[in-house]
Amino acid sequence: MRGGAARPALRARKTASRLVQYLLLQAVIAALCILVLRHPLPEPPSRTLLTSFSLSDRGEVRSVTLPGFVPARTSMSDPAVFTGRFHWDARDAGHAWSVYLPRFTNGVIVSVNGAEILDSRRDPAANRSDRATPEIAIIPTPLLRDGDNELVVRLLVWGPISGFLDKVYVGADADLRPFYEQRTLWFVTLPTMFAAWQGILAMILAVIWATRRGEASYGALAAAMTLGAIQAFVLTTIDEPAHPRLNATLLASAPLESACLLAFAILFFVRKWPRRLGPLIFLPGLIMVLIGLFGGPPAIRQAFLVLGMPTLVVHLLLLGLIVGRSEMRRRDVPSLLLGCGVTIVLTSLLHDVLAVAGFIADDRVFFTRLSYSAMLVAIGAGLTFRFAQALNRVDGFAAHLVIQLRKAEEKLKASFAREQERERAAALARERARLMRDLHDGLGGQLVSIVALSERGSAAGIGEAARAALKDLRLVIDSMDDIGGDLMLALASWRDRAAAQLRPHEIALDWHAALPGLPVYPELRPWHVIQIIRILDEAVTNAVKHAGAKYISVSIESRPCEGGERGCITVSDDGKGFAVDGDGRQTSRGLRNMKNRAARCGAELELSSGTGGTTVRLQLPHRFPEGDAVTG
Amino acid sequence: MTSPEDMAAQEITILLVEDDPPTLWRLQDALVKAGFDVATAATLGEARTSLAARVPRVLLTDLQLPDGHGVELIRETRQRHPDTEIMVISALGDEETVISAITVGATGYILKDAFPSDIAATVHDLVAGHSPISASIARFIVRRTQAQAEPAGPELNTAKLTPREIDILWGIAKGFSYAEIADNLGMSRQTVPGHIKSIYRKLEVHTRGEAVFEAVQQGLIKL
Repeated sequence: MRGGAARPALRARKTASRLVQYLLLQAVIAALCILVLRHPLPEPPSRTLLTSFSLSDRGEVRSVTLPGFVPARTSMSDPAVFTGRFHWDARDAGHAWSVYLPRFTNGVIVSVNGAEILDSRRDPAANRSDRATPEIAIIPTPLLRDGDNELVVRLLVWGPISGFLDKVYVGADADLRPFYEQRTLWFVTLPTMFAAWQGILAMILAVIWATRRGEASYGALAAAMTLGAIQAFVLTTIDEPAHPRLNATLLASAPLESACLLAFAILFFVRKWPRRLGPLIFLPGLIMVLIGLFGGPPAIRQAFLVLGMPTLVVHLLLLGLIVGRSEMRRRDVPSLLLGCGVTIVLTSLLHDVLAVAGFIADDRVFFTRLSYSAMLVAIGAGLTFRFAQALNRVDGFAAHLVIQLRKAEEKLKASFAREQERERAAALARERARLMRDLHDGLGGQLVSIVALSERGSAAGIGEAARAALKDLRLVIDSMDDIGGDLMLALASWRDRAAAQLRPHEIALDWHAALPGLPVYPELRPWHVIQIIRILDEAVTNAVKHAGAKYISVSIESRPCEGGERGCITVSDDGKGFAVDGDGRQTSRGLRNMKNRAARCGAELELSSGTGGTTVRLQLPHRFPEGDAVTG
Repeated sequence: MTSPEDMAAQEITILLVEDDPPTLWRLQDALVKAGFDVATAATLGEARTSLAARVPRVLLTDLQLPDGHGVELIRETRQRHPDTEIMVISALGDEETVISAITVGATGYILKDAFPSDIAATVHDLVAGHSPISASIARFIVRRTQAQAEPAGPELNTAKLTPREIDILWGIAKGFSYAEIADNLGMSRQTVPGHIKSIYRKLEVHTRGEAVFEAVQQGLIKL
């Protein structure tokens, strides 16, 4: 009981400590973020700074010190006009002079001594208020006058936020350009690079989703990345865009993108899609699309401020919660990375909102879009980590499989060896049984006869029985030789023995072997050979003993029949024959034996006997049977 | 078979070496009745003494002798008296006995239980230059020419046999007559016994030195 109670407490303490650790890490990241955001950007030398301007706005003229704000407006036809003066010495004619504007919203037209040298509206990057695009313009030397020169900056404002003109610098191009380049790198080049990165991510995720349709989370993330990439590359010419409403809608697609990102997080980390509340996250984004398509650019800009920004904040907070919860539960790298990304973006967004709202010093440098890059990096790194982990798991699985396979193989080998051993033992036992049966059938009986005859004291039959025993012994030995299924080889040995047996009786053994002899029987076994030879022996013995033959002929041939060749062995004699029905018991027993032996080999035995002699025809089978089928 | 019989059988001297008395009597009776001049020996020692006294035309010997192996006797006789025809006496005619005798110079075998007429006929044939070869021995030799792996049974080197000789052995192993074999191979049937004699001589390993030379020739030994 105590252990049971202690465990949940321990777990709770562990979770709490983990939560504190996580929150601390996020706080550190947020603090670092703020430190970076509030860090002042480097400025050109103060001698190039131009601060005193007279501002003519809506018929009102007043003197201002830059940076300065002008109220928001809806029309571009009445820009606020900043007029200032700067000193140029004719001795400086050797160096190019430039006007450098680090930051302005939303557009500027710059003239020197009445001649226009810059219109920022032609620079698509400068038209995006989410990028702090700087502008620089070289003043053509003929325009410059020795002494005082007039600089006019017309500030164009297209709402919804107020117009802004940061400090203006005029001086040697060599002094100003490095600062311009630095800002361009930070606020133009980097976002473009990250947008390209986002495009690649979109493609990779789309491919993953296309090949793994079951994982909708990757589809959602691909949608978010695609929207982001399009948004970043959409052209923002102010004058005459081909589809101004679509353009404006795409520019304000951030809430839709964040909704997709949130959907990904829900599917990926929570793994359960809330059917009722889920679609709600897309609602603000869709409303914005409708406003953009039907309301036009000014309306969507207004809606972005009122509806879009809060939506982004809410989405980011939800995202942070989901990711944080996942990190608490699983402690995996993707959650941690994404959690840090959310903190960075959220901090930047709050900073931007507070700046626009006037709570903190506002230099109109927006970091939200740039900080979103951190999230992109986190997503990329997290996915790559997951991928590598999956590969590791696959490798591990493969290695595991290889081990399992080897084990199974060894087991199989062992069992195969066992099986082989058993098979060998069984074959040996079978062979022993066969040998015993063969010896019992022939040799055993004959030896017993010899014993019996010798006990009776009659020497007459002993020689014959002993010869038969020897003959049988030779047959058994001969049949053990591997003849490779060629029955002809066994028959030839038998021929030698039979001829020797017949010679004292002065009986000729005529041998006809029609080429090419008998077919080869790969399945031929010693016991088949013994049965066949014994049949032939019986036929020859009958011819000698009972029929009184003087001539025995053996012919061996192959006869074509259905299903190929069939071997046929014929033994015929010129004896007096015998009645097949059996006149003597000895003969009939011998015949029965012959038929039995033939049947055991699957052969057919034909007997015809008459006064002209006896013919025994042994028709061999197509295939010799494997087992000794007949009981006999 | 007729001409050797005319050539008085008494002129043909035989040394019969057999340690089992009944078998010895039986074979001796058969040979003496056929008119051969038969000397007998029951041991290797007796056989050597007899050989030293008189070199027989034919040596018939058992392999298992009380004081040694018949193979020794065959080898010695073959080396010292190349004109003497040698046959082994075997109970079963099994290849183990017969082949080991052939490789030291024997030409065929006589079964111990052969009928007397067969025994005499075989010796006559042998003296006439007809070397008998049984189907089972022919089978053993041809199967040995095919064997790839180290085969069981006595050592036998068949590398010197020509394809024609192997064909003849196949014919004998399958039970065809000399006439059938000769017809089938397109040769004169009178030449078949000569081929068989040649086969016997080729299977014989003469001396140790010669065996080494042959082994080198056939690539069995690398120097």
